[in-house]
Amino acid sequence: MIEVEDFTKRYGRDLAVERFSARIAPGEIVGFLGPNGAGKSTLLKSIATWAEPTSGTIRVAGHDTRTDPLAVRRVLGYLPEHNPLYEGMNVDAFLRFVGRARRIRGARLEERMAWVTNACTLGDVLHKRVNQCSKGFRQRIGLAAALLHDPRAILLDEPTHGLDPVQVAAFRDFLFELRDGRAILFSSHVLAEVEAICDRVLVIHRGRLVRDAAIATLQDEASAAGTTLEALVLELVRDRPAASEVHS
Amino acid sequence: MRGAIEVARRELGATFDSAIAYVQIAGFGLLANALFMNEFFLAGRLELDAYFDVLPLLLAVFLPALAMRSWAEERKHRTVELLLTLPMRTFEAVLGKYLALLAMLAVLLATAAPLVVMLFVLGEPDGARLAGGFAGAFGAGALLLALGGLCSALTRDQVVAFVVATVLGLFLVLTGREEVVGVLDGLAPQLAAGSFLFERVSILPHMERWAAGRLTLDSAAYAILGSAALLWATARFLDGHRD
Repeated sequence: MIEVEDFTKRYGRDLAVERFSARIAPGEIVGFLGPNGAGKSTLLKSIATWAEPTSGTIRVAGHDTRTDPLAVRRVLGYLPEHNPLYEGMNVDAFLRFVGRARRIRGARLEERMAWVTNACTLGDVLHKRVNQCSKGFRQRIGLAAALLHDPRAILLDEPTHGLDPVQVAAFRDFLFELRDGRAILFSSHVLAEVEAICDRVLVIHRGRLVRDAAIATLQDEASAAGTTLEALVLELVRDRPAASEVHS
Repeated sequence: MRGAIEVARRELGATFDSAIAYVQIAGFGLLANALFMNEFFLAGRLELDAYFDVLPLLLAVFLPALAMRSWAEERKHRTVELLLTLPMRTFEAVLGKYLALLAMLAVLLATAAPLVVMLFVLGEPDGARLAGGFAGAFGAGALLLALGGLCSALTRDQVVAFVVATVLGLFLVLTGREEVVGVLDGLAPQLAAGSFLFERVSILPHMERWAAGRLTLDSAAYAILGSAALLWATARFLDGHRD
């Protein structure tokens, strides 16, 4: 569903991500783990067609992000890192705008509005302005906008940022419900979150993929080494030269 | 083009949700109509020439104020990432915002309705000249809005967008004034820069032709092709400044 092959992204002379390859199949929830500035958002933006790869290929449901970005956007739900929302709009109008811009209309729009309102528990704020909503609600509004068109591939950049522990638990259950037939990639720098939610984890550090493994495999490795999963992952992201440092 | 219509609807909703839009409309209407009435009582003629004389300068200042937030605000608040990852072409989004601005321009020009009604109550003004004047003002305004939109895309700062668009708009208007043409031609007679700008660049001769009832094809082409080129440049710039 989501295929990234040899993806490299440069910003001027800075190498943000280097030769990154991964595949995410339908039904998989994959965590994208790495410290701040590791290149997680760069990759997600590129899959979402907001950034263009410097080299390499990204395909979503068979559509190339470079040659057919509109087709990619139709099948993709994307929650960007800073969750940009139109602050002055009321929540209902905002979601309807997103729906209509995605060519959802009439009964289908009503059905999807009802679904996201219920799934993201937005009933209490639907008629409030976005800028009157709490951080937790704002995050759920962004999530609702990303899911409104029932996407087959979902990218969530730090989706639990601003949620309290109860909301994080609810979010985890929600992702499990969503997973059927959908490829889900979400970024985080909180290992416990990824461990609780994901089947597989991609660990990125300083622009490079340093590990692509099932959570169960990493847990087994940690047990065998007599250490914790956290220590194992920390070892992966410790003191490696940045991609840009090697090539500069 | 459905994406453009949805963007236009959202923009209009956001515009009229703010008190600023009403202040701008009221301010423009009061100023333009008051300036006209002063001339009207002095000249005592059943025509809107005095209104169309003052309109270019007012449009060059008021329209950048309408256009300044269109892209600068999206870029500042990063909602541009949300908008341009929806399944629509960048040009559709640019066109949508532009359509909303054209609707605002129509509202601004509609504030002259009391003047038109007054002229028809008082006598029989030349309807074709009036229509030509408003068509010229709309064409010139459309070009200034496209210019304002481009300036707004170039920066995250609305004030910078406003200042740059106003300076460029005033340049397009003032290069159509005889006294400015004379000064520029006088500076370098062999270049005749003033005459060149008057004939090839300025917005004013086109507006004046239309206001005089001469609806020429080259003036229509100036407004339409000029606006289209500026919209295209806006879309290209936004595409080039994705992450």
